[in-house]
Amino acid sequence: MKEKFKSTEVWFKIALLFVFGGFYLLAMPFPEDSKQFPQLLAAISLALTVIALGMDFLRAQVAVGEIGGVDDTELMVLDAATRRARRKRFYQSWAILLVSTGAGILGGFLLSTVFLFVGFGLAFGRRENVAKNLIVAAGMTVVVYVVFGRIMAVPLLDGVLW
Amino acid sequence: MDVFMHAIAFVLQWQNLAALAGGTVVGIIIGVLPGLGPSAGMALTIPLVMSWHPATALIFMGALYKCSNYGGSLTAILVNTPGDASNAATVLDGYPMCEKGRGGVALGISATSALVGGTVGMICLILAAPFLADFALEFGPAEYFLTAILALSLIAAVVQGATIKGLMAAGLGLLLSTVGFDVIAGHLRYTFDWAPLEDGIPLIQALVGLFAVTQALVLAESASSISRLAKLSGSFWEGVRDYFRHPLIVLRSAVIGLFVGVLPAVGQSSAGLLAWADAKRVSKRPETFGHGAPEGVLASETATNACMPGDLVCTIALGVPGSVGAAVFLGVMIIFGIAPGPLVFVDKADVIYSLFVALTLTSFLVFIIGMTVASRLAVVTLLPNNVIVPLILVVSLLGSFAIRNEMADVIISLAFGALGYIMLKGGFTPIPLLLGLVLGEMVETNYHRALLVSGGSYSIFYSSVICKVLIVLTVLSLIGPYLGPFWKTMTQGEK
Repeated sequence: MKEKFKSTEVWFKIALLFVFGGFYLLAMPFPEDSKQFPQLLAAISLALTVIALGMDFLRAQVAVGEIGGVDDTELMVLDAATRRARRKRFYQSWAILLVSTGAGILGGFLLSTVFLFVGFGLAFGRRENVAKNLIVAAGMTVVVYVVFGRIMAVPLLDGVLW
Repeated sequence: MDVFMHAIAFVLQWQNLAALAGGTVVGIIIGVLPGLGPSAGMALTIPLVMSWHPATALIFMGALYKCSNYGGSLTAILVNTPGDASNAATVLDGYPMCEKGRGGVALGISATSALVGGTVGMICLILAAPFLADFALEFGPAEYFLTAILALSLIAAVVQGATIKGLMAAGLGLLLSTVGFDVIAGHLRYTFDWAPLEDGIPLIQALVGLFAVTQALVLAESASSISRLAKLSGSFWEGVRDYFRHPLIVLRSAVIGLFVGVLPAVGQSSAGLLAWADAKRVSKRPETFGHGAPEGVLASETATNACMPGDLVCTIALGVPGSVGAAVFLGVMIIFGIAPGPLVFVDKADVIYSLFVALTLTSFLVFIIGMTVASRLAVVTLLPNNVIVPLILVVSLLGSFAIRNEMADVIISLAFGALGYIMLKGGFTPIPLLLGLVLGEMVETNYHRALLVSGGSYSIFYSSVICKVLIVLTVLSLIGPYLGPFWKTMTQGEK
């Protein structure tokens, strides 16, 4: 049983239970025409999720398959070491994304651009290429500023701070 | 005929030719980059074409979608890495040919396949269009509703053995499409008083998040990045000549490609592998397949190139996408106000025929690019992930931001990126979710319209012959994946 709660699939299904339940309950005060369709959908989806979860818990083994990319439709199974290494890189990526988005909200999207290029360059680039990666980051930021900021007039420097 | 002539004149305008060339080049580059497929490519470039004429934008997207397959064949041959799943069969013989010093020949075969396979597919598509337009008159709201349900159930079964998960994802997509103003009663639903959601979940931002951001995260977590380019040798023209020495395989592969393309939710990778296996079966030297047989490259590439137009038939005419790329293309059509369905051949004939003409021209353009600079484009695979990943993120998130100049849109894209990533990790594909989101409004509107027409009676959903056929197909699509293993168990039990 414990093993089953380690699966992303099981947790995602449990989260979906709440999401579908939420959609059903939140629709209650809507007028009849407005709530009919979402409630019908939520009820069907909720039933499917319960069935899927029930099947997961009845099965002897935990489902560990994942899909390799947005264009793939095949389930693949990775070994534990690869999964751990990937998870570490995933957390690093999200840290960079969140910091850069925060910087973008404060100082404009151009700051996000700088943080993204510098962050990924430093976190995932080779140590001997630090200078090269910083030059690439600076170059890409200038290109983004000229193409989007100057030519396409996107307000890249509009942030909460100024 | 008039519509067709107008379409040719429209495509030959400079801005449309530029869109065609741009889409072709971007498509090839997207295809060359391993890990990036047509869906991420289209998601990345939607914000760029938002202000364009719908037909011009569709020409760009169509060319990108079609040419990414050719780009993928370059890396399959030169780097031993298929740029996209559709090129999986090309690797089997393409790279061994390259290792034997016949890389140029393989590239020649691949470019000629794009020309011949693509053109044959497009001609069949153009010939089929008038019949689909006639069929349009038979469709009412109930038929539209059931067609969308069929599309969702077909796509839900796209991942082997995970139909229920697909249906759950489709349900989530449909529910998310109900966020914002209700088209029937004008009531605000599920917005939590957050203004950016009043017009509903923005489709572009969601698409960018689900496909571009998710794929960037997938690329970021995989350590391998720098590929090794093989040295190119062998004559391109020898490949062209080699291609026409096997007319029977060309014909068989084109037919397989078209047939697989028309089948919903099967996709180009299956077309390539099926054609490769078929060519091996009929070959006099089957032992050479997998060791650098030119017929192997020829068969897989011709089939995948002929598959895309077949794929588009279902996508445009019925709203039933045949592959992941087609599902995103469907989203692009909706964004530009072109609702899929048989009536599109009547209501938006100019746009659709312009797209067909442009895609036919694309086959020739791919051949020219293949002859000249294609092999040089493969150098982009040398870009490391620490450059490609932030580049994808900056371009996609900037695209989301630039539509309304709001950071809220970036947050929406990131939220969908996270959702897409978690779905992949949980073994869910985000395609049914996207399709639910794209078709949601059409499903709900036609559901209410059908009930209005019938005075509230649900019998309208099974009264016509088309409705009955659609219901049977939906049921078959849902139980079909389980029938194969069930049949196997039964027959094994008897033995």
